[in-house]
Amino acid sequence: MTAASSLIGELRSFLAEESARIAHDFSRTADGRVAVSQRTRLVEEILQRSWHELVSAETAGPCGFALVATGGFGRGWLFPYSDIDILFLHADRGSEESHKDSVRQLSQELWDLKLKLSPASRTLAECERFDPENTEFTISLLDSRYLAGDRDLVARLRDQLIPRLVARQAKPLLQGLAEVTRERHAKFGDTVFHLEPNLKEAPGGLRDCNVAGWLALISSMSKLGDWPAANSLRGPVRKQLEAAVEFLMAARCFLHVRHGRDDNSLSWEAQDEAAARRIGVPQHEPLTAADWMRVYFGHARAVQRAVAQLLEEIPEAWSSIRSQVRNWRSRPSSPDFSVVDGMIFLQRSSSLQDPEMLLRLFHFMAHHGLKLSATTEHSLEQALPALAVAPPRGAELWLYLQETLLQPHAPEALRAMHSLRVLTLLLPELKAIDSLVVRDFYHRFTVDEHSILAIESLHRLNQSQSEWDRRYAELLSELEDPELLYLALLLHDTGKGVPSTNHVEASLEIAGHCLDRLDVEAEERSTVLFLIGNHLEMSANLRRDIFNPETVAAFAEKMGTPERLKMLCLLTYADIKAVNPEALTPWKAENVWQLYIGAANYLNRSADQRVHGDANGEKLARLRSLAPVLGAKYKEFVEGFPQRYLRVHSAEEILRHMEMADRLGRDAVQVDLRRGRHWYELTLVTRDRPSLFASLTGVLAAWGMNIVKANAFSNDAATVVDTIYFTDRFRTLELNLSEWERFKQSAVAVLAGSADLEKMLRDRQRGEKHARIKVVVETRIDFDDEASSTSTLLQVIAQDRPRLLHRITSCLSQQKCNIEIALIDTEGQMAIDTFYLTSEGKKLTAGHREKVAKALHADLRDLESGS
Amino acid sequence: MTKVEAVIQNSKLDAVKTALQEIGVEGMTVLEVRGHGRQKGHTEVYRGREYSVDLIPKTKLEMVLPDAIVEKAVQAILVSARTGKIGDGKIFLTRVDEAIRIRNEERGEGAL
Repeated sequence: MTAASSLIGELRSFLAEESARIAHDFSRTADGRVAVSQRTRLVEEILQRSWHELVSAETAGPCGFALVATGGFGRGWLFPYSDIDILFLHADRGSEESHKDSVRQLSQELWDLKLKLSPASRTLAECERFDPENTEFTISLLDSRYLAGDRDLVARLRDQLIPRLVARQAKPLLQGLAEVTRERHAKFGDTVFHLEPNLKEAPGGLRDCNVAGWLALISSMSKLGDWPAANSLRGPVRKQLEAAVEFLMAARCFLHVRHGRDDNSLSWEAQDEAAARRIGVPQHEPLTAADWMRVYFGHARAVQRAVAQLLEEIPEAWSSIRSQVRNWRSRPSSPDFSVVDGMIFLQRSSSLQDPEMLLRLFHFMAHHGLKLSATTEHSLEQALPALAVAPPRGAELWLYLQETLLQPHAPEALRAMHSLRVLTLLLPELKAIDSLVVRDFYHRFTVDEHSILAIESLHRLNQSQSEWDRRYAELLSELEDPELLYLALLLHDTGKGVPSTNHVEASLEIAGHCLDRLDVEAEERSTVLFLIGNHLEMSANLRRDIFNPETVAAFAEKMGTPERLKMLCLLTYADIKAVNPEALTPWKAENVWQLYIGAANYLNRSADQRVHGDANGEKLARLRSLAPVLGAKYKEFVEGFPQRYLRVHSAEEILRHMEMADRLGRDAVQVDLRRGRHWYELTLVTRDRPSLFASLTGVLAAWGMNIVKANAFSNDAATVVDTIYFTDRFRTLELNLSEWERFKQSAVAVLAGSADLEKMLRDRQRGEKHARIKVVVETRIDFDDEASSTSTLLQVIAQDRPRLLHRITSCLSQQKCNIEIALIDTEGQMAIDTFYLTSEGKKLTAGHREKVAKALHADLRDLESGS
Repeated sequence: MTKVEAVIQNSKLDAVKTALQEIGVEGMTVLEVRGHGRQKGHTEVYRGREYSVDLIPKTKLEMVLPDAIVEKAVQAILVSARTGKIGDGKIFLTRVDEAIRIRNEERGEGAL
């Protein structure tokens, strides 16, 4: 047996024994750092002995050739199954040539020992060359360490070459490192909160720990021109990183030993075992897998924040977009906050004592999409204990929260709030789902991350180019109260954090508490609870036949109003999208959409199902509590109104209508005008008669108002309730308080027949200009004689213009059609008007329909041409 | 060994799965698919725009079974998936040359 082969034999058994011993020690102590350094020394010894045997028996020879440990090995972090990074360093090409054989022999032997080498070979000069395509190699040099061979050579590498290289190439190095890191993060959805995270590569993992060290090192080295004397990371960040590294080391060793290979995925089974063996938390009390994962996420978050901080603070590491932003002129200004280098600073550091300041800070973040500076975060962390004693609550909190949720950068602000523990301060209901791992095969992220991601999916709709996304984006833009949808998304899975058989029920209960604390109004509260309670409804319907009219009808009835239907459709879209990146397949997106339009059409076509006797219990109860005497007459009033009337109006609104109806004895025309959240609202209550709706819309046209939505209903007692939501194009009402009264009087006069509507319209016409048409809408006039048993349905789709509605309704009036119900809506520049028509109490005959269609087409053409 | 492929209505998936489990079928693959046979597509007009679906969403089941229970499985699917209307779907049978279990390289009907 040759010396070499006996050496191999010896080394093989040495390696096997020592590896077993290290594994055994680790299984007892669960000390990752010790295991890792023991393995490092083991491999070192093997490499050194092999070198002496095969390359050179001299103590520090041969001259001009050396073996260097790089990367993780150089750092002293060798995990049981990770690759061993080494560098064959040559003084020059000559050395490379002459040692070719021994390098081959050495590599062969080490492979035979089943050691996974990752070797590189370079001359000293080659090391100094920086290749922007291969920043990894240069970075691995930062961790280089002498193993065997020419000491001087390695000393030249470390003491001279590397500092020179870094000083010269700091910028591209930092940029390259930052870019590679960002790409890696993007692959993992930019979040630490995976259900089965990859300890090495995922954000907040070991790779990120190294990145933090490198960023700081390169930065200081380039300033000093030499290796820094002390660790470049400071204070609390350094402590957090060290604690995280301890934990992650233990966890990664555990995974390697468990899997017998370089597998860094924390599968569920692994989580169970890690928790049982208290890996990384040896002193802890016995803990569940979910608790153990919370410890992991705590460390991962800290690491991610440290890296994010460094990426923000080192200008060379900025993304190209950020560098551009810095050069823009406009600077967001505020008396409370200043923005320096794209980060938010407080004008006065003590100001966070005021809880309202905290809310304003996050609103500012959500509005501008900027991050907090390290100093601000620090001040925040200091202020938290005091804020925890008396956290903001009630209507003020809800007001800020609403506004924040609607801002374009809300998801980023929410994530920042969450990672700084502010979100759970403001909404303790979220504590139960904080970093919560729930095991099912579809979800990729923790429950809290899922909820925030769902909100982000909706915010992102506007930027998407995909055809599907644009349809949903249109729906989103039509919502009256999108903030309710966002709040529902935030709370919809809170039930998963408490043991229960049905997480929907549990979420409802928890959300109820939250809504109480935020002092949310009754109608809004009911909407949020409706969304949460029904959040699985559309998905459930995908398992049925979505083209079956009965399925669609049942679903639509459950939704009740188009507004709620839209909200639930968007909630479903967001919920599925946030499960995992592939969850919203075209199959699902198409089905959800088809179900939506089926239900939307159904709601339009079934608006005339009347209320009889059995009135909505909840509304009745509420009415009675608001006005016991008048409320009792509710049944009488509501009899004969379509169901839609009850669903669309709140109890308070219905009460107002009843009060107005009560006064009809004194004034036959009751008109109410008020400013709503998005639009003005004009309500008319009066006795039914021909051309009423046409006259009402005429008044609005004559005053230059633009009708956005409207509903017209009547009950069995022939009392009409018409509600018109409009915008004030010429700001008449906004600029002149007195005009409010005049407008109302004008409406009453026209409806009472004492004012000349035609003259008013003519006067207005003279001053009109035509609005620019951005999207051309073709006129469509469709009749449906089947949908209702008592009326003929008419749907008109046309280019939205001033006076459009008045033209249509006057035409219908002239054609002797009675409008039983009107549902008026606008989508961008498209007007969508639905009418339930009768003539002499019956449906329209075919001949009549034709006449009406012709007349409408003619009138609309005239309107188009400006006459 | 026979591969059984069945294209069925979405709403029948649960019923078919239960029926197959009852006769001892232990494994299957479920896919979300779109397609059509003679069933016409569906057009819905929403706000003046037409949304046509000529590839209708369906569910496809695939399983490889020992020949002994193939006919029982086919009957189970027929009974549980049928509504009697156009669009109920179809079942296809093909012969399979070999089946291998990845975990332990077991072959043949034992691997099913």
